[in-house]
Amino acid sequence: MAEFNIQADSVDVTRIMEQIRQRIREKRGTDYTEQQIRELATVKVERFLDPRHVRSDLVEHYRQLEPPAALEPIPHERAGRAPGPAPEPVEFDSHTIYMSSRGPMGKLIRLIRKLLNPILRLFFNPDPVVLALARQGEINAWMLQILQQESDLAERVTKQFERAGAKFVAREELDALNFEVLNNLVVEMTRLSLDMKNHRMLVESVAGRLDFDERRARALESVVQRRSPVSPAVADGEVDESTSSTGSGRTRRRRRRSRRRPQTAETEGTGTDNAAAAGTVTQSEATEPVPSPGTATPPGDTAAPAGAPPRSHGVPISAPAVEPSPADLQQTPSPYAPDPDSAPAPASVSAGEQAPAPVPSIQGPSDAPSPAAAPATERVPPAAPKRDVGPDDQ
Amino acid sequence: MKLAVVVQRYGADLNGGAELHSRYVAEHLARHAEVEVLTTCATDYITWRNELKPGFEQVNGIPVRRFPVSRERDADDFGRRSTQVFEEPHSIAAELAWLRSEGPTSPSLIHHLRRHGDTYDYCIFFSYRYYHAYHGIRVARRRALLVPTAERDPALGLRIFGENFRGVRALMYNSYEERALINAVSNNETVPGVVVGVGSEVPARPEPQRFRQATGIEGPVLIYVGRIDENKGCRELFDYFERYASRSPGLTLVLIGNPVMPVPTHPGIRPLGYVTDREKFDAMAAADLLIMPSPYESLSMVTLEAWALGRPVLANGRCDVLCGQCIRSNAGLYYQSYEEFAETLHTIVSNSALRAALGVNGRAYFDTHYTWPVIERKYLDMLDRLDREAPGQEDRPEPLPGWLGRRRRDLLPGRQVVERLPAGPAPSAGGSQYSSDS
Repeated sequence: MAEFNIQADSVDVTRIMEQIRQRIREKRGTDYTEQQIRELATVKVERFLDPRHVRSDLVEHYRQLEPPAALEPIPHERAGRAPGPAPEPVEFDSHTIYMSSRGPMGKLIRLIRKLLNPILRLFFNPDPVVLALARQGEINAWMLQILQQESDLAERVTKQFERAGAKFVAREELDALNFEVLNNLVVEMTRLSLDMKNHRMLVESVAGRLDFDERRARALESVVQRRSPVSPAVADGEVDESTSSTGSGRTRRRRRRSRRRPQTAETEGTGTDNAAAAGTVTQSEATEPVPSPGTATPPGDTAAPAGAPPRSHGVPISAPAVEPSPADLQQTPSPYAPDPDSAPAPASVSAGEQAPAPVPSIQGPSDAPSPAAAPATERVPPAAPKRDVGPDDQ
Repeated sequence: MKLAVVVQRYGADLNGGAELHSRYVAEHLARHAEVEVLTTCATDYITWRNELKPGFEQVNGIPVRRFPVSRERDADDFGRRSTQVFEEPHSIAAELAWLRSEGPTSPSLIHHLRRHGDTYDYCIFFSYRYYHAYHGIRVARRRALLVPTAERDPALGLRIFGENFRGVRALMYNSYEERALINAVSNNETVPGVVVGVGSEVPARPEPQRFRQATGIEGPVLIYVGRIDENKGCRELFDYFERYASRSPGLTLVLIGNPVMPVPTHPGIRPLGYVTDREKFDAMAAADLLIMPSPYESLSMVTLEAWALGRPVLANGRCDVLCGQCIRSNAGLYYQSYEEFAETLHTIVSNSALRAALGVNGRAYFDTHYTWPVIERKYLDMLDRLDREAPGQEDRPEPLPGWLGRRRRDLLPGRQVVERLPAGPAPSAGGSQYSSDS
């Protein structure tokens, strides 16, 4: 939080809150992209989808779950408890107690009973009994009707249960299918997880290589830039354009020549090399003094005393992984330098190198890419060899 | 002049907001008038159980007349009726039933007001939402002043209270936000009202070192004072603080007050429980700032006390009252999310110059508006004004609808009504003088 210039009476809470909210907005914009915010918003969902959170023993666990017991059909009527046929309803009224089933004699009996009825009433009143029995007959009929309705209802419920049972059976089949799908999903997620790990390692590997290449390129560029300001070739506007990226065969040769300088001094200036054959040698090579063997030369140390032996050391074109000092570059051969016996590539030579042979073709200063780059190197397009040069000085 | 202070509970050891407020007001107005407190025998605001003897007694030199509560609160019944009136379309009968269920139902107190109300020049009712205030104002409306202590809660949206807001002689608001809410819900702009609040008695020389030595707490301190309750925003506070402390350790959150929820075990959280006033003020003086996480406050006395001690406040920005007070006083910041909590807290803790400036502003705000002479003067001026002005309304309260009308379910849910009310900090008061109030 930036300090506020604070006088107590100048504090404005509203303004402070605006500043704080502005800072929160800026922080959000800097720290989180829209995609990240969306990811944060869906983090809860992803917790369930993340394969890392899937239990590896989920399938086994699922398999160990006991399946529900199969549904047994409920018997509609248990044996031995069948109700049997319904009894016939009996109609009962006030005359029923006097009736007789003996035909014509029965009429006489009924008549006698009716005659004796007053005597019977001396003992008890049959009317309530008659009424109760009659009402019981009605109740029985009513109950029978209800039972009939309930029976119909039970039948419908039974059908519903049968339908539900069928659904349960289908559900069990679906569960088996779900299990299979789940199993496949877990397998696929595991496979995807492994693939993802592989791809991540692959990406890291590629990124490492890319990083290495970039650093190597930077090292090369920096070496060239350090050496170029004092180059007479720059002053003359004669600079090899391909210095920073090509011509490794040339450099390798020059370094070797540098090491053997005491023995091969008399051959200097007479032979040419592959780079020269490719026609990309800077003129400065002819004027660059050569340090004594084993002496590291600082980058700007090009003002050698007049009459000193010409410098013939080469600059390794392929830089090491870490950016070396120019002295290291002069003394330590790059392990990544291409094989000098391979086909000659367009060489590039730093401005301080000595050219053992006249430059076949040099692009003029007009090809300098930018004023900023011009003092360091001037790019010279590789040209075809105009003549077959002599034997290599090696 | 004889004044009656009518409040749901009263006692020297009761620390509820409205109850403490009423006691302070009664004790300070007693220097200028004859004051009698009318209250219930209850001490527990959950059950309203009669725990004190009915009758007359003295509390800190103030005569207190207690009346029994006729029925304790049935929590299930109250919850059911609350859901009915807050969440569903309902009738006036349902609101009255809710009020009876809420309590403290003390018909004898209302009867006393009906019979002896003429002996008081004015009756100052506290807390609009309780039984005693609703029925008491209907009985003594020509002499009734109301200290609503209203918050943005669904009870404010009930129809029955609107008539009381319009029917009292004057309203003594706690904040501009409260006044805006009540004006909006009841259209009572014509009723005299003044934003008063309440003062606080803060020791002149608290000793923060005593607190540091007693507790062994070093480094910056964030303090919370009050009931440790989820309804007070403490759960959110704990969550935010733990997240903040995981990135910026070294800050200590001191909690003062009785917990009614579990306090997380965290090395940076120090619950001290209930402490004496002296210890409380020592702790507040030792703190770098006060945190007030409650989303519902009509007036935070502890906030005022922090400002009186020259301590800045970090308040919940969802509470209109706290947010408005921070803006008007320029003495506190506020937050509405974790990001704002972290930024504002870091701003105050890390910027000593800002902290000091906010504290100076808080102190000035308190001195201007919330010292007792100012509070007393506001009450007395209002009473003088009411003496001069004839009551502008009839003596009888607005009649309730008939039997069928009271049962017609045509009222909106209370929560829905409150959600439609204007939100946010109230516009500036237009100066520090309450004379601008209508």
